[in-house]
Amino acid sequence: MGADPHQGETEPEVTALGRRLASGAEPYLYTAPVLLLIVAIMLVPLGVGLSYAFRDLQLLDPFAGAFIGLDHFRELIADDIFRDALRNTAVWTCASVSLQFVLGLGLALLLNREFPGRRLVQALVFLPWAVPTFLVGLDWQWLFNPVVGPLPHWLFALHITHDANNLLSDPNLALIGPIVAAVWWGIPFFAITCLAALQSIPKDLYEAAAIDGAGLLEQFRSITLPLLAPTIAISILLRTIWVANFADLIIVMTNGGPADATQTVASYIFTVAFRRLDFGYASAVATALLLLLFVYAIAILLLRRAFLRRQA
Amino acid sequence: MRRRPLYWAVHYCLLSLYVLFALFPLYWLLKVALTPNELLYSEGIRLWPSRASLEHFRFVLTHSDFPLFFRNSLIVSTSTAVLATLVSSACGYGLSRFTFRGKSALVALMLITQMFPLVMLVAPMFRLLTPLGLTNSLTGLVIVYTAFNAPFATFLMQSFFDAIPRELEEAAMIDGATRFGAFRRIILPLTLPGIAATSGFVFTAAWSELLFALMLNSSARASTFPVGLLSFVSKFSVDFGQMMAAGVLALIPACLFFLLIQRYLVRGLTAGAVKG
Amino acid sequence: MRAHIWLATAALSACLGSAAHADTTLKLVEVITSPERTETLRAIIKTFEDANPDTNVEIVSLPWGQSFEKFATMVAAGDTPDVVEMPDTWLALYANNNALENLEPYLKSWEHTGELNQRTLQLGRVIHNTAYMLPYGFYLRALYYNRKMFADAGVTAPPKTLDEFLAVSKKVSALPGKYGYCLRGGAGGVNGWLMFGALTTGDDVFFRPDGTSTFTDAGWIRGFNVLADLYKAGLAPKDSINWGYNDVVSGFYSGVCSMIDNDPDALIAIASRMKPDEYGVAPWMKGVGGKSFPTIGYGGWAMFANSKHKDLAWKLIATLDSPAGSLAWNRRIGALPIYTAAAKDPMYADPRYKGWFEELADPNVSPMIMPMDLRAWALFASSIVPRTTQNLLLGKLTAQDMAQQWAQILTKAKQSQK
Repeated sequence: MGADPHQGETEPEVTALGRRLASGAEPYLYTAPVLLLIVAIMLVPLGVGLSYAFRDLQLLDPFAGAFIGLDHFRELIADDIFRDALRNTAVWTCASVSLQFVLGLGLALLLNREFPGRRLVQALVFLPWAVPTFLVGLDWQWLFNPVVGPLPHWLFALHITHDANNLLSDPNLALIGPIVAAVWWGIPFFAITCLAALQSIPKDLYEAAAIDGAGLLEQFRSITLPLLAPTIAISILLRTIWVANFADLIIVMTNGGPADATQTVASYIFTVAFRRLDFGYASAVATALLLLLFVYAIAILLLRRAFLRRQA
Repeated sequence: MRRRPLYWAVHYCLLSLYVLFALFPLYWLLKVALTPNELLYSEGIRLWPSRASLEHFRFVLTHSDFPLFFRNSLIVSTSTAVLATLVSSACGYGLSRFTFRGKSALVALMLITQMFPLVMLVAPMFRLLTPLGLTNSLTGLVIVYTAFNAPFATFLMQSFFDAIPRELEEAAMIDGATRFGAFRRIILPLTLPGIAATSGFVFTAAWSELLFALMLNSSARASTFPVGLLSFVSKFSVDFGQMMAAGVLALIPACLFFLLIQRYLVRGLTAGAVKG
Repeated sequence: MRAHIWLATAALSACLGSAAHADTTLKLVEVITSPERTETLRAIIKTFEDANPDTNVEIVSLPWGQSFEKFATMVAAGDTPDVVEMPDTWLALYANNNALENLEPYLKSWEHTGELNQRTLQLGRVIHNTAYMLPYGFYLRALYYNRKMFADAGVTAPPKTLDEFLAVSKKVSALPGKYGYCLRGGAGGVNGWLMFGALTTGDDVFFRPDGTSTFTDAGWIRGFNVLADLYKAGLAPKDSINWGYNDVVSGFYSGVCSMIDNDPDALIAIASRMKPDEYGVAPWMKGVGGKSFPTIGYGGWAMFANSKHKDLAWKLIATLDSPAGSLAWNRRIGALPIYTAAAKDPMYADPRYKGWFEELADPNVSPMIMPMDLRAWALFASSIVPRTTQNLLLGKLTAQDMAQQWAQILTKAKQSQK
């Protein structure tokens, strides 16, 4: 770019070259701080953490640390608790994410229309997201406890359960507790992203469809869903990854019990690392989880791309 | 478009269910915080204590280290929000405006960092930060939080920038401004809602973070309020009343902040989706 | 603008990280933290600081629920204190890794060593017969019972034998919404299981001379079945399968269950929430052969081997465990004393402590020390026991199989630790 003649300045050769170099380096300059932070604070520990999976590392034994190759992974394949944890993780993640999504989308649809008091309602309904997760766990644990909470009694009165006992101590039902808490906390996330996506759909599309005689359901199916799908895919992807890695609620509410009935892979990692103090094995479990999530992410991204391509 | 009254009836009915569901647990928190100790168990399932009392709040504010923890949390969260917004704005802008070699690798990298269970990072990170003197310090927490929130904050800022046409800064650059100058003077002011949204999001995330605050800091003077809440769980009893009171107090800034910025989040993400 | 922020945060952290101005700073970590304990600790430490004007003590208080992993992480990364509060269950882990300093030389020249009761030195020396810690007090189990619930159920006196215990439980459980026993099915429940097992066995021997575990003996299995049947028959709350310390204590003082086995430190929580005529403390029941085996635990102070101020650290421990210091501390935490003379202190003359001193004086009562010298014990007690006992209570595992699993693990642990 030459200098503007009206500027009354001319650029010497050196600065012109410098400018071109700078503009070539520009994107890297802008993205450098974040990249640096991520590499230093996350990648390095991540790499070290991954390396633990191949070593025998007991936290308190300064003489441990020998390289043992794939031993941990062999132990992993034979580990019953891990297998059950995998199953629980699938249930936990599927249930939490799908419920959050469906309810979040519903909320977004409701908020998508103008109505008096909308701002207030929107603000109130998004509040759960601001609560720290362990407080969420404690709060819901308290709510499910028949001695101090109303839920078991209400559920009993409504004939949904056949006694007023604590859900969290029944191994068959215990996982429901953390799922409900997670759904309560996570609805705002989906509601916000879906609402944003909904508001970007031009209104005239709906008006045209209405003129053509399409009912609400038809409009939803043929306009809303397809246009929403790319955003939905990314939100679900991100959320699934977070939920799968999310141990806080389970640890606070049930500690993986009773009898490991609510143990997910994430809480199992916590147990192995901080109770057994076996960081090597915990790392192996974490690596397995990482691989699974990676495969899942790729699958979703490929699906999304195929969908977009088909649309175009 | 006018709709039948039945539609609105269902609409409001469903909305009130949502609002009830969202607010009830928070209401319960408040209720427990206001119940005096003797009535905590005997009146456990009443909807409101027969004798509401502010004793827990008084205790938390005067007898515990809570004000210190609160202050620490405020410092850490605000610093993180500011720092994270800064670096993510830069990075988001870079991702929005440029295509460059390694761009998709960077995006993939940021996605991968979300996948690793944080529990596994604690020990290596502790080892990494101790020689640098960043454990037991608020600065260390700020740096760690910034790093963890940067990917999502970048994604947010990127969609805000996507909504602003490139022509704006390109016009400024033709007039002789540097790109950075145009960025600073023209683009940033236009994305104030986006900045508000991102800062609010990061603030909320840093405010409630527990694992690293617990593991990286051990002395009281560097502890944040989530760690402080855990101190109400002693070996002898769980002081639920006090814990919930502390929880309510701690929720106020987070909720206020969130109430203020949540509609910018929606607006900003919408704008991004339009162009993106 | 960014530079200003960095300057600000740097300045802020500098202010926050400013060191003490005294010549030496000792670091002490407490792990069984509560606001009241920290207050008492500060007071005792102040007397130390007054006697040693150039020394400052920095107290680090870890929240009890996470203190195990938090402390382990700190130690693994080299962030070690000079003095640490050492629970009995952690001792094996740290002492066996040579992390703790041998206190014998200091004890030899200490003026108060002769006044300590025999149990103190015995328990301080469980690892390799060397004192790696100095206990500050003892936790002995006894039976707390709810007088009011007993009266409602028509029970006149606390049970003295296992059979009486079961009969009383049944009577109280007949009351609507009430239960006889507060079972600790979750974290920390191992004491209860072993106590019942010992009752039906008639002794507390865990290992045979060759190092194999005795758990597979019929006596122990019978004891495990007693508890399991008690739960299945509804004599303990259904929820109690998950109960930890706080839940059993709160279940007791909120009147859900009428009996609980616990240490004197639970007295603090219970006394502040129940009137003295509503509860009582009785010696733990007797079983086969008229013998009783309540578990005994302890906490104490240990010094880290890499401390740079060993003599000063010892002085700190000595102050904390001096007759005056230990009495003040025990008054706060409710533990039984380490000094023979202290038993005569007015604090222990309180009728509420009667149950424990009765136990200590009874020749048929043998405080049971759990095999905490095994390195694998911490994991066994915190992870394996809750999991297997919960499966037992749910009917997914038989007592036989559970005993088998326990025996396998403990035999291996014992034999590999010669």
